[in-house]
Amino acid sequence: MEKNQRGGIGMGGPVLELRNLAKEIVRPGTSPFVIFQNINLTVRDGEFVSIVGPSGCGKTTMLRVINGLMPASGGDILIDGKSARQLDHELVMGFVFQGASLLPWRTSLKNVLLGIEGKKEPGKKAEHTARRYLDLVGLSGFENHYPHELSGGMQQRVNLARALAVDPRILLMDEPFAALDAQTRNFMQLELLRIWRETKKTVIFVTHMISEAILLSDRVIVFSHRPGTIRSEFHVPLARPRTMEVKADPRFLELETTIWKQIEEEVNASGGFAKM
Amino acid sequence: MLRKIVSILAGLGLWHFLATVVVNDTTLLVSPIVVVKTAYQMLFVTGELYPHLFASSWIFFYGFALAIVVGVPLGFVMALNAAVRDYVNPWMATLYTTPRIAFAPVLLLWFGIGAGSKVAIVFLGCIFPILINSYYGMRTVDREYVELARSFRLGRWSLFFKILLPASVPFVLAGIRLAIGRGLTGVAIAEWFGATEGLGYLIFFAGQTLNIPTLFVGVAVFAALGIVAFEVVRRVEIYATPWRKTSAGG
Repeated sequence: MEKNQRGGIGMGGPVLELRNLAKEIVRPGTSPFVIFQNINLTVRDGEFVSIVGPSGCGKTTMLRVINGLMPASGGDILIDGKSARQLDHELVMGFVFQGASLLPWRTSLKNVLLGIEGKKEPGKKAEHTARRYLDLVGLSGFENHYPHELSGGMQQRVNLARALAVDPRILLMDEPFAALDAQTRNFMQLELLRIWRETKKTVIFVTHMISEAILLSDRVIVFSHRPGTIRSEFHVPLARPRTMEVKADPRFLELETTIWKQIEEEVNASGGFAKM
Repeated sequence: MLRKIVSILAGLGLWHFLATVVVNDTTLLVSPIVVVKTAYQMLFVTGELYPHLFASSWIFFYGFALAIVVGVPLGFVMALNAAVRDYVNPWMATLYTTPRIAFAPVLLLWFGIGAGSKVAIVFLGCIFPILINSYYGMRTVDREYVELARSFRLGRWSLFFKILLPASVPFVLAGIRLAIGRGLTGVAIAEWFGATEGLGYLIFFAGQTLNIPTLFVGVAVFAALGIVAFEVVRRVEIYATPWRKTSAGG
C-alpha cells in the first residue's frame, strides 16, 4: 500500500477505470454531436475525485454514462476490473442528483428506503439501515417528514443518505450543492467531508466550483471545453482532515488560481463565455 | 369562511329580492324561501323526492364508477404503450369533442329506456376527463424520478408501483373531480329522454307544468349531489396524498 497525501491512510487498487470512454449523439443527416471523448481515468478505492470544467463540457453527462443512465458510444467502464455492462443488474453505484429528486409522496425514511427496496432486503433490516444513514447525515428525528417540510440542505442530506444506504462501491455526485445558498453550501461541504471520512467511500464529484473541488478532493480533474476530455489533473497537497481554514492556505490559493486559468482558457478557446 | 357565508347570504338575499320585488311572478321565479318550503314538503311530508334522488344517485354512481374502472387503467396503458396510444388517440379525440347529447337518442335506442342507456350517457360524460388526466398524469411524470428508479436499478413493476403510479395520483384525482360535474350533467341529459323518474325527469316535468318551486328543488338537489361528491373526492385526496402541502380545493 502506498503512502499518499491522505494522511498516510493506504488506498486500495482501482475501483473504477474508464478506458477511452466516449459519448456522442447521432444526428440524422449530419455529423454526430460529440459530448466527450478519450476519457481515461482510474479512481482508487476510497479516493475522492472531483471533476471541474467549463459549462457544457460533458462532465455531468459522463457521470450519467458511468451510472448507466445513458449508454456510452465507445470505450469501457470497469468496476473492480469487471465490465459495468455485466454488473448492470447489481447495484454498484449511488447517485446523488443535482436536484434533491426526493419523491414528494415519501417521507425521509421512505425515500432512503427506495434504493434498499431494490436490493430485496427484509423490511426490518432495511428500515434499520435507512435509519442509520439518516442518522449519519444528521437527520435523526426527521424520519417522518415529507420533502416539502425540509430545507434545501436537509433535502440534499436525505438524497445523500439514500445514495449511501445501498452501500455502493462508488458514489457519484452531480453538483449536489449547486442549488444551495452559499452558507448552507459551506456547511454541507464540511458535512460531506465528515461523512466521507466515516464511510470511506470512493467518490466522483462533479462541480462548477473550483474551491469546492479542492476542499473536498484528493484529486481534481479539469475537463476541456466540448467535446470534453481530460485536460489535466491535480493532486491536492493538503492534509486531512480539512476545515474551512485550508482555503487560506497558499497551496490552496495557488491551485485554485491555476485551475481557474485553465478553465478560462478552455472557455475562451470555445468562443468565449457569451457563446456558451 | 366568513366571506363564503357572506357571499352565500348575499346571493340568497338578491335572489329573494329579484323574485319578490322585481319579477313578482311565481310562474317565472320564486323566492328561495318558497324553494326551501317545497323541499321540506317533498323530503319530510310527502317524501316524493326520494325515488327521484335514489334513481339519479344510482345512475350517477354506476356511470361514474364504471368510468373510473375503465378510464384510469386505459389512460395508464396509453401512457406506457405507444401502440395502444396510437390506436385509442383518434377515437378519444373524436368522442371527446362530440357533444354527448348527440349520443343520447342512439344510446336510448341501443340500451332501451331503462338504466342501461342512462348509465351509458353518464359513463360517456365521466370517462374522458378521467382517461385524459390518467394518461397525461403518467406521461408527464418527472424525468428525474424515472432516472432515479433507473439509478437504483428498480425493475419495471417497481418503477410502476413506486414511481409512476404515486406520481400520477394527483392528476387522476383531478380528472375524477372534473368528471363529477360532467357526470351530473349526464344524469340530467339521460333523464330528460324518456325517463319516468329521477331528478332530471323531475326538473323537466316541473318545467313543462310551470311548477317553478319543484323545478328549483330539483336543481338544488343536483347541486347538493355535486357538493357531496366533491367532498368525497376531496377526502380521498387528503387521504391518498398526505404529502401535498395543501389539499387542492380545500
